[in-house]
Amino acid sequence: MITLEKVSKIYNGSQVPVYALRDVSLKVAEGEFVAVMGPSGSGKSTLLGVLGAMNSPSEGRVVIDGIDVYGLRAERQADFRHEYIGFVFQHLQLLPYLTAQENVQLALVIAQLTKAEKRARAREALARVGLGGKEGRLPYQLSGGEQGRVAVARAIINQPPVLLADEPTGNLDRQTGTQVLELLRELNQAGQTVIMVTHDPLAAQYAGRRVQILDGQITPSTFQGENSASPAPWASLRLGSPEATATTRSRSSAATSSSATPSKARPASRSMSPGMRR
Amino acid sequence: MRLTDVSLSNLRRRKGRMALLVAGLMIGVATVVALTAITTTMRADIASKMDQYGANILIVPEANDLTLSYGGVTVASAAFDVSELTMPDLEQIGTIKDAASVAIVAPKLLGTATVGGQSVLVAGVRFSDEIRLKQWWHVSQGMEPAAMGDALLGSRLATTLGLGPGDRVQVEGQAFQVVGVLAENGSQDDDILFIDLAAAQQAMGKPGLVSLAEVAALCDACPVEEMVDQISGVLPQARVTALRQAVQLRMDTVGQLEQFALAVSAVVVVIGALVVLTTMLGAVSERRQEIGLFRALGFRQSHVMRIVLSEAALVSVAGGLLGWLMGMGAAVVLAPRLAGVTEPVAWSPWLALAALGGALLVGLLASLYPARSAARLDPSMALRSL
Repeated sequence: MITLEKVSKIYNGSQVPVYALRDVSLKVAEGEFVAVMGPSGSGKSTLLGVLGAMNSPSEGRVVIDGIDVYGLRAERQADFRHEYIGFVFQHLQLLPYLTAQENVQLALVIAQLTKAEKRARAREALARVGLGGKEGRLPYQLSGGEQGRVAVARAIINQPPVLLADEPTGNLDRQTGTQVLELLRELNQAGQTVIMVTHDPLAAQYAGRRVQILDGQITPSTFQGENSASPAPWASLRLGSPEATATTRSRSSAATSSSATPSKARPASRSMSPGMRR
Repeated sequence: MRLTDVSLSNLRRRKGRMALLVAGLMIGVATVVALTAITTTMRADIASKMDQYGANILIVPEANDLTLSYGGVTVASAAFDVSELTMPDLEQIGTIKDAASVAIVAPKLLGTATVGGQSVLVAGVRFSDEIRLKQWWHVSQGMEPAAMGDALLGSRLATTLGLGPGDRVQVEGQAFQVVGVLAENGSQDDDILFIDLAAAQQAMGKPGLVSLAEVAALCDACPVEEMVDQISGVLPQARVTALRQAVQLRMDTVGQLEQFALAVSAVVVVIGALVVLTTMLGAVSERRQEIGLFRALGFRQSHVMRIVLSEAALVSVAGGLLGWLMGMGAAVVLAPRLAGVTEPVAWSPWLALAALGGALLVGLLASLYPARSAARLDPSMALRSL
């Protein structure tokens, strides 16, 4: 369970303080797929930063899995990010000089695992997003969609309970964006909690719940959508092309096989590290 | 993949920038190493050629001198309670701690003789030691003495007496043949008649006794004052004095050169540190997003610092190693040309370790601030959108 209690984020500008978030309260249940929508500058990316233990709020509390995130010391917050949060960034943030596998492994650099275990988990994560066999490719040798999937693989390799996606389709063409959204939906179907920030209403249809944010405040028009497991009408249309259908089929089978091994595929009920609550 | 792999990947990616940094450090280390190696070699060179510079310790019998003088003019001087030095006394010098650093012990027996109706100063010496000790001696006429009955004349004395090779002189009734005349060297030796020590002892009736001894001793680790103390310890009946001669002056010059090298090294180290500081700051600034990503992935501040410092350490070690090689190469080439040393430049492992350690220390210290700046980057600001 993710809970935001009266969270405000104030930037002290040159003349007047600017509220990026104002008294935001929000609850996200385990396994939910929530889309946070709003126009540019509405505060949705700030909200994601606050949720990801990267941007401390000026007021209020953020509690994830019973942990008061900003009550942790700085180094513990880093540990928290490592163990609890997976990020998919708007610009993907793949390091151009690392291969796909190395980019994914980056999230495991500080994990207490052997080199072989890290390699195996990176390959497994890449296979899970349909990039088996492309581990050795550099980002520029991959298509935009494949790069997006590498970014998702990096976000999930550590099996975080919460996946945060910041405009994951923002810089991608429609077809590539669809592939990434499909992937997020499959992960959600496997039990992953996903919070996605987007200004694209079509992308938001993949979420089970949509939250509107405007001028740093959650608006009353927040919408509880259909079951997140069902693809949105728009998505079905876009997936109608032969290439997309083939991709969807292979992913569905991947999702099914993932579901068959819940210990690997469903990371939501993670036990907390000793001392993390401090 | 470990933290060091991340550092290595980044170094490989920024080859040009890092090569420049290595080059900067290399030149700095090379300068310091070359200066150190050259001055060390100069010191070793002097030590190896110490007999060229003459004696630096004088041993005379202990005596109570009473000098009568007024206004800087000595009226009279009287020595009393004079004790004698013997040849067995001088053998004690071989028992001191730093005996290995004693190159030459040249005993002398002084006396006077009347030659051609003129009173002259006679010095009984061991010619083999004396010639080795006084490398500035040059026999201008005749040859070097070889037999007990041979005599060597100072140039002025030879001119005054009108004697030359082949002439005979009498000392205390004993005949000596002049075999050579020294070229003028501007010292008191120009006025002395030199004969063999044993022959002098016999002629003067002082068997086994000596008036004084000159000693050439030098080592890097033990200053001449220390040698004086050690010799005084075994010869309590003698007065042992350190002489400030050419070798000392040369050592002082080397000392000044070492001070200069130290000052240049300090400047080079500061410049090297500034080069590392600015380069690493630039590198960190270029990698804001990457560092933000690391932080977003859960890297602690200490992890980010380790990445930056590992890069600095790798670059510093490379710069230190290459700098050491370059500096030693420069010393080998330049030492004989600039400093005129003939001693080979020693490839000291300590200098190699110091070069590596120094480069590493400078690199790490200069990178601390950039590393801290990187570690303190706000991940949300670094990633901009969040």
